[in-house]
Amino acid sequence: MNRPLPRPPWLSQLLIRVTAPSDDRRAILGDLDEEFAVRARTVSVAAARMWYRRQVMASVVPNVTLRIRKRRRRMTRRRGDGIMQTVFQDVRYAFRSFRRQWAFSFVIVGTLALGIGANTVVYSVVDGVILNPFPFPEPDRLVGVGTEWPRLSRELEFWEVLSPPEYVDVKAQSQTLEHVVMWDMGYRAASVGTEPPEVLFSGFWFDDAFPTLDMPPVIGRGFTREELERGDRVAIISHRHWQSRLGGDPNVIGRAMYVEGEPYTLIGVMPPRGLIYAMDLWIPIGASPDRWSRNRRQMQILARIAPGYSLEEVNTELAAIAGRIEQEYASQYEEYRGWRMQALEWTDANVRMIKPAAFALMGAVAFVLLIVCTNIANLLLARSSSRRREVAVRCALGAGRSRIIRQLLTESVLLALIGGAIGVVLTYVAVPVILASIPISLPIALDVNVNPRVLAFTAAVSIAAGLVFGLVPAWQAARSDLQSALKVETGGTTGGQRHGLQRVFVGAEFAVALALLVQAGLMVNSFVRLQNVDPGFDTSNTLTMRLTLPFSRYPNTEARRTFFMQLVERIEQLRGVRLAGAGNQYPPEVFSRNRFGVEGEAYESEEALPTAFFTLVTDGYHEVLGIPLLRGRTFTDQDTPNTPYVAVINEVAERRYFPDGNAIGRRFKTGGTDSDGPWVTIVGVVGAVHNRGVDTPPQPEFFGNSRQFPGGNQMYVVVRTERDPRAVLPAVQQTVAAMDPDQSVYAVRTLDDAFQEQIAPRRTGTLALAGFALFALGLAGAGIYSVVSFGVGERKREIGLRIALGASSNAVRRLVVRQAMIPVAIGGAVGLIGALLMSRAMAGFLFEVNGADPLTIGIVAAVLAAFAVVASYLPARRASGLDPVVALRDQG
Amino acid sequence: MAKGKFLGEFEQVVLLAVARRGDDAYGARIRQEVEDRTGRGVAVGAIYSTLDRLVAKRYLSFRDGETSPDRGGRPKRYFRLQPSGVTALETARRILDRMWEGVRLPGSASR
Repeated sequence: MNRPLPRPPWLSQLLIRVTAPSDDRRAILGDLDEEFAVRARTVSVAAARMWYRRQVMASVVPNVTLRIRKRRRRMTRRRGDGIMQTVFQDVRYAFRSFRRQWAFSFVIVGTLALGIGANTVVYSVVDGVILNPFPFPEPDRLVGVGTEWPRLSRELEFWEVLSPPEYVDVKAQSQTLEHVVMWDMGYRAASVGTEPPEVLFSGFWFDDAFPTLDMPPVIGRGFTREELERGDRVAIISHRHWQSRLGGDPNVIGRAMYVEGEPYTLIGVMPPRGLIYAMDLWIPIGASPDRWSRNRRQMQILARIAPGYSLEEVNTELAAIAGRIEQEYASQYEEYRGWRMQALEWTDANVRMIKPAAFALMGAVAFVLLIVCTNIANLLLARSSSRRREVAVRCALGAGRSRIIRQLLTESVLLALIGGAIGVVLTYVAVPVILASIPISLPIALDVNVNPRVLAFTAAVSIAAGLVFGLVPAWQAARSDLQSALKVETGGTTGGQRHGLQRVFVGAEFAVALALLVQAGLMVNSFVRLQNVDPGFDTSNTLTMRLTLPFSRYPNTEARRTFFMQLVERIEQLRGVRLAGAGNQYPPEVFSRNRFGVEGEAYESEEALPTAFFTLVTDGYHEVLGIPLLRGRTFTDQDTPNTPYVAVINEVAERRYFPDGNAIGRRFKTGGTDSDGPWVTIVGVVGAVHNRGVDTPPQPEFFGNSRQFPGGNQMYVVVRTERDPRAVLPAVQQTVAAMDPDQSVYAVRTLDDAFQEQIAPRRTGTLALAGFALFALGLAGAGIYSVVSFGVGERKREIGLRIALGASSNAVRRLVVRQAMIPVAIGGAVGLIGALLMSRAMAGFLFEVNGADPLTIGIVAAVLAAFAVVASYLPARRASGLDPVVALRDQG
Repeated sequence: MAKGKFLGEFEQVVLLAVARRGDDAYGARIRQEVEDRTGRGVAVGAIYSTLDRLVAKRYLSFRDGETSPDRGGRPKRYFRLQPSGVTALETARRILDRMWEGVRLPGSASR
């Protein structure tokens, strides 16, 4: 054993090293060397060498196949549970790095929660109000039928548009529609058992609606054909009424009800949210549809598209039916010429008015999230300098670039999902508060909540956001140069590139923020103008309420007229009341109109007659509302059915129809000069008020005297009070009860509220948009602040040198701020173009403001610029205070 | 288990060599055992390739143990028979026994 150990042949050894799988290599070589040594000792070195070479030659093929087999096994393992394993690894690693930088992660998650939360809130409202307002199955096959009347100059409408004979025609002739139902609407005082009566918005049906809605009643049943034909006294109430007034009692079916004092039997409860135009009570109309006159168009149709047909086919068929009706009846009813029926998805018909506003808000809030993402991308870029070594070490340990990117993206998506989860919690809290603050009056049962669709939306938005803000920083981090990163951390070339990217991001943020702020500014501007619109009369201290007299108790005009006249007189006697009057409508919601012909004017045809709003009022109405009398007189008790009929018109009507200013004394007839009605003499001209809301100019309006014209059974009572108008309500209610205990007033509101309600949706939209824009502004400010701070940190040496060479602190500050302003200015310019493009889409929401309003744009630009200067001045001041000695010594 | 239900002949031989060697069953010993018992030269690479397959089938487990001066500091890799490996050997033997039962091969003196 003194001899030196013989060495195995090195070339053969090398061959094993090359061919054997890495994890077996040492064991194999060990075995070979061991046996070689034994043979060398016991036989001979030469024989041992020979043996060794033979062994190696014979092992090459098995070694290589073993190697291939092992690799294949590894590959399949990686492809299978391997991916999940790396994801888990990444997630674990991500959480570890969050914990390491908790403050940083907290800021990111916080901004994300606000950004994603805002999106979730807006989406959940859009989902509940626009996308899925009804619980009915297959809502896209549930349609309403609207009409257009070129002869009556009316646009497509879905509310009070068809007459029963027209419905009979549609029902009989349509193949493409099934379960066609029609109903009329109105208010009815109803009570179950001994409950006090409550005025409910009610539907009067020709049919059973449940098959059309494709939903059964929650309890009870729908109307039978016999009940509908006989007009039986059976009633169905809404789910919400059942819940709120009857406590959801399951035993209410069969109980006695009273509708306008008449006994009814409760037979069913509508499904939850299964409301149509927010009607709480359904009863049979109790009349055959073919006994109605063709032009009594006050009802609406609901139907299902029959299986196998499309909406287009329905509309083709409706056009054909309308054409046949026109041919048959146009000689009798002129308005049929050119009329059109059109089916529209019921959902669309109900929400089309607010759809654009809702989607505009969706767009705005998406832009906010975009800024949030940009900001976070910026933060991540800034942080990537502190993570460069970490990434580089991982690279050096064998992580591929794609692996690094995947890891970093996992982190950002995880952050976004956490932010999204918190956003959902915020939504839970915020939605009820927001809904409570919006007095929206929509024809649906509002059901806005966090449902699976909303959660899916939030998850998708979160993941998308995580990818958006994570991609660029991850790509940047993974492509950084390994060697320089592992060396001492100096801001190398990548630092400069990164800073360039950050400046691009800041520019983009300011572009989006400017565009949003301009829109918000325009909306605020519009809203302020709307609020400052003079309605044309004094809206303060005025109470309005509605009263409906049942035809059964007050069958003729005279009885109803007497009741209302007496009521107004008695209310005027009440303490605290200055004046009282009544009208069938009042500003800002005047809607009823009439065609008329002026004496001495020639009209080519009946449909060429002018149309104006026509309001029936008691004498005193104009005085109560404070509508100024310009010329002539208003109504007095000297006007009676037996004296010549008189009318008052407003200034706008005078200007339009009597341009030479000689309206007083002229005569007209409603329905045309050759109609059977009496001649009506114009006796006065009053000031124009905003009778269609403050966002619409005053429209021509004629006032008839309720002492002379036959009125309906519904009137609005208007009361001007000395102080708080609501204080007189109890006394008014007592007065009504004293005259008829079965009657009560409803739809009570002050005139101020009526005008506020009108602009309430706009206020909500404006506030939301302004909130989003301010959030965007704050984010953009934070963005520029962090980028400038970061830039100053990276340039410490340069700045220190400048100071050492004699630059004043003012000069340093100017330098830093000026450089920060470059991306802001470029972003601002781009944003301005974007704002002008957006304004075009927003034009419909603006009121008396141009989309390119220079004042608004100027103010917004100035605010934004000032904000950017302040945000960059703070780090600039820090830079100017640098001690050059410290700065130059410091390696950073 | 994996590749059919039958153990290959060489797999069987290697498994038995591991069983015979007991606590001393490492690469070189296994190879020698096979060579001694079969009387045929066997390459170390072939042994490791088969051992790997048997490990993959979970008939064997292995651990790296101590080294010795002759091995140049490289550890010995010890293999140990697993219960499933025992079962596989017993099954193989039973099959062979049953196949051999009453077989008379033409021109053969044995059995």
